[in-house]
Amino acid sequence: MRRFEYIKPTSVQEAVKFLADHPDEAMVMAGGTALVVMIDQGVLRPDYVVDLGGLSDLQGQDSSNETLHLGALTTVRTLERDPQIKERFGVLAEAASQVASVRIRNVATIGGTVSYGEPQTDIPAALIALNATATVVGTEGSRDVAVEDFFLGPYETVLEPGEIVTRVGVPAPSPRTGGCHMKFTIGSPENKPVANASVVLRLDSSGRCEEARIVMGAVGPIPLLATKAAAILKGEVLNETAFAAAAAKAAEESDPVDDLRGPAWYKRRIIRVLVERGLTWALSRAAAQSQ
Amino acid sequence: MGPEQSGSTKPVGGVGASPAMLDAEDKVTGRTVYLADIEMEGMAHARVLRSPFPHARIVSIDASEARAHPGVVCVLTRDEVLADPEIDPYFGYVMRDAPVLALDKVRHQGDIVAVVVAEDETTAGEALEMVDVEYEELPAVIDAVEAMAEGAPIVHEEMKPIAWDMKPIYGSNIAHHATLMRGDIERGFAESDYIFEDSYSVPPVQHCALELHGVIANYTEDGITVWTNCQSPYPLRKELERMYKRKVRVIVPFVGGGFGSKSRDRIEATTVAAAKLAGRPVRLLLNQEETFQTFIRPALTCTTKTGVKADGTIVARHHKFVSDVGGYGISGPRNANNTLKIATGPYRIPHVLVDCYAVYTNKPPSAPYRGLPTTQHTMAYESQMDRMAKTLGIDPVEMRLKNFLREGDVHVPGDLLRSVHADECLEKVVEAIGYKNRKSGPGADGKLHGKGLSCTIKYTITPPVPTAATQAEVVLRDDGLFEALVGTVNMGQGSDTILAQITAEALGVNLDLIRVTHSDTDVTPEDNGTTASRGTFHSGNAVLDAANKVRTNLAAIGSQLLEVEQSQVQVTSQGVGVSGEPGRNIGFKELVQRHGEPVAEKGACVVGGLYTDETGRQYPITSTFWSFASAAAEVEVSPETGEIRIVKMAAAANLGKAINPRSAKAQLEGGIAMDMGPTLFEKLVWDDSGQLLNTHLMDYPLPSMELVPEYAPILVEHPLEGAPFGAKGIGEVGTVITPAAIVNAVYDATGILFHELPLTPDVVLAALENPPQENPPVRPKATQA
Ligand SMILES: Cc1cc2nc3c(=O)[nH]c(=O)nc-3n(C[C@H](O)[C@H](O)[C@H](O)COP(=O)(O)OP(=O)(O)OC[C@H]3O[C@@H](n4cnc5c(N)ncnc54)[C@H](O)[C@@H]3O)c2cc1C
Repeated sequence: MRRFEYIKPTSVQEAVKFLADHPDEAMVMAGGTALVVMIDQGVLRPDYVVDLGGLSDLQGQDSSNETLHLGALTTVRTLERDPQIKERFGVLAEAASQVASVRIRNVATIGGTVSYGEPQTDIPAALIALNATATVVGTEGSRDVAVEDFFLGPYETVLEPGEIVTRVGVPAPSPRTGGCHMKFTIGSPENKPVANASVVLRLDSSGRCEEARIVMGAVGPIPLLATKAAAILKGEVLNETAFAAAAAKAAEESDPVDDLRGPAWYKRRIIRVLVERGLTWALSRAAAQSQ
Repeated sequence: MGPEQSGSTKPVGGVGASPAMLDAEDKVTGRTVYLADIEMEGMAHARVLRSPFPHARIVSIDASEARAHPGVVCVLTRDEVLADPEIDPYFGYVMRDAPVLALDKVRHQGDIVAVVVAEDETTAGEALEMVDVEYEELPAVIDAVEAMAEGAPIVHEEMKPIAWDMKPIYGSNIAHHATLMRGDIERGFAESDYIFEDSYSVPPVQHCALELHGVIANYTEDGITVWTNCQSPYPLRKELERMYKRKVRVIVPFVGGGFGSKSRDRIEATTVAAAKLAGRPVRLLLNQEETFQTFIRPALTCTTKTGVKADGTIVARHHKFVSDVGGYGISGPRNANNTLKIATGPYRIPHVLVDCYAVYTNKPPSAPYRGLPTTQHTMAYESQMDRMAKTLGIDPVEMRLKNFLREGDVHVPGDLLRSVHADECLEKVVEAIGYKNRKSGPGADGKLHGKGLSCTIKYTITPPVPTAATQAEVVLRDDGLFEALVGTVNMGQGSDTILAQITAEALGVNLDLIRVTHSDTDVTPEDNGTTASRGTFHSGNAVLDAANKVRTNLAAIGSQLLEVEQSQVQVTSQGVGVSGEPGRNIGFKELVQRHGEPVAEKGACVVGGLYTDETGRQYPITSTFWSFASAAAEVEVSPETGEIRIVKMAAAANLGKAINPRSAKAQLEGGIAMDMGPTLFEKLVWDDSGQLLNTHLMDYPLPSMELVPEYAPILVEHPLEGAPFGAKGIGEVGTVITPAAIVNAVYDATGILFHELPLTPDVVLAALENPPQENPPVRPKATQA
């Protein structure tokens, strides 16, 4: 592996200052599960690796309020196992449980996953479905960005040089809400997704759909919000027919490419299946919530 | 069989027992020493500069900046190699066409161009980027069938066959073309009621052993020592001695899986050249991407044309196959050639023609993959078998039983088949999977259900003249323990354990009195290589021979020391004693002490030679033993996504005798798990410009535990005369029978017979929605009439 200097700042200020001073030479490391592989392969060639591991501001989870606050260093394994998250933010826990292997989940972080901006990831889709917000800190101060607006293209995010993600906030879903995360792989289920879908349904008191959020991963340059598909469901009584129509529309809204994980036409077919299955599960969970 | 053991009790852990592997505890506790664990005084570290182009002439190499980089010991390029009159830079076991590093041109992406040796790997990596290479790109040929065409770019302008049986077509890319004929193929087709013709293709894959390739080389004036994870240390020693004109010692520590990817050497001679230049021990460890560029299982395409009678009797078969050799014929053409005799399956077919083409391309060199291309042939003839059975309205089991080879048949001239029992293997898996009362097609769960069968015949590598291909030594040491010295490489298959069990059984002592020393050419006797399911038979026979001699010797020594007739001496785990007189016994430690030296004997396994048929004609024996096996698969196919789930796999092999039944079953299970990957999703992909797109395992899915089906491994035991306790090999048949069984199960479930692997869900879904048309059979007699 290429040589680099290892920096371990003790405060967010120190970290962002160092990054701002070395915009082209320094890279941030959280879990390192993506970064270290890329350095090893020579894709990234940083002179400095800034390890965020020592920053207490980026640690911890707080679910005591309405909004779930997650430090950027929260591991994927915590998202999967934390009883509060499992109970109230099931889609997120479900997405986390399908990321790679236990070894990687133990190390990879929510901040790293979001900042990485890889199209083939699961957590960002779930965060968008749940209307999450990322807190970004730079030398100029901090700003909140909806995760929905965070991604610009493959491996490209709104992060400016010198900025880091410090926290992610997830608003508590209202009652009568249910969600589901579906991942499809070829070969081992630990592989990166051919396609994935995170869906959240909110029902009104009569059981009709008040809001649907359908997010599709790995079938576009960024996680895609299927707004037209969601519009089909809004205000409707939810049933198989409605789900089939919404899934077909979602597939139209997807924008996959041919690659080693499969041809574009196939990914479109799979995303339709995942959205349809996800909606069916989400409805049964939302209905269970309403009782 | 071992000598008479009257009066002695059966040793604990002998033949037929399933003790834990001798190396298991060290492995699970991390104490086992693998190549990468070896540290040497003064060891430097190498990295390889590899070609970015699949085919290019090297115009010039400038390594001056790299040489000046702090921490760099030396840079090996073609200039240093060509300037050294002591080095013959070419090696290979079939074609001698692989250079230590590229001398004139590069022949595949990832071909070796230069080696940087530095104080550490990181520095070597830095300096790699400072080596300036000017290339002149040449048109490349990636596909083997295209490489056979007139006007294709030529990979080797000069063919360099060294094996006696290689038949290159000079001026082309065809490194080897051979045919096998039996009967009269044209007559056979003319006499058939139906002729089926199908083409099949299987893409290149890699073995993906847990341990990647690595070498440590130390070059001194007194000789060369090489530590490597190569599966064939003795042939390697011979080749290096020829190239470097020095005495060579090859040591193979425990190997973390080979599966054929390490059956021959690729980077050993290169590392030796680097060590010679460096004047220090040099270590080279490859990464995953480099491993993909080192040895692969070649792409294979074939056309199988079979003539049958309406009752299902196979009359004639013409099987033509094209096997990709890659850029160097280190062993590829031989691997293809070796499957000539089994390419038409375990069936009695009076009229046969097999056409084998081994063709150079601009891809990495090909290697055997747990069964050579037997797997691909089996996929072809077994899926065609099911298609024929279905078309003719014959039960697939009946059709196979009707045509099977039987005990005593002459398969290839020169081979009287013994220990066949292909029918029993098939019947066992048919029962285990519940084939007879299967419900094929859509089930209540919305999935498509099916079951499929496959049967195979496999040969083992056999020399053309009688050869003591494998030797061994058994020594009673002064600590009272028996040491078995064997050449077989321990790559996780349990060879040490099985050979210790055979030794224990032959000596009549418990397994815990045996220890095994393996694969060090200065210490252990000659062996031709741990390939082709050879180990149990060859090293087994050699240790058996040695142990029998030691036992006889112990009886003689005991007779002197105990002052009784030799016939009264009894060897047990307690030492040598007198039959019927429990008090009179000498422990092994004391025996060595009183005898004055260790009791040592060498043994050998002689194979090959001529077979004389009843008319007096002689033929070279083509296989020391034949393996027969069957598999049955149960699958579930999703019509929604095209996913295939393998629910259950049964596999039965006639292995002669199970020395260690648990270990033998694990070979079948591991074989199934391994070849599920290439059947369902593994595939190396080169783009049109010859660049490999899979650069790490994230782009190359492998089977994982979640995908492993319920297994039913079945051991069929019909001892083979001349084999150690009747045991043949079982290392490869598990992989060989897997793809065809799955393909046929999918056929049963969906009505679609896939002719190409892998069966990724997109391919399956596309076929479900747009079923391909099969070639209808031709009726030769009808057309004549
Ligand atoms: C074999 C394998 C399979 C995988 N499969 C999946 C899968 O199926 N689904 C899935 O969702 N994920 C999967 N992953 C995980 C995913 O690809 C990333 O590796 C992981 O999410 C990155 O998290 P990390 O904390 O290790 O980030 P790091 O590797 O530390 O960093 C990733 C990137 O983000 C930047 N970064 C990290 N933290 C911050 C921060 N707080 N602020 C700003 N920038 C930051 C880094 O500079 C780097 O560019 C897989 C990973 C592996 C290795």
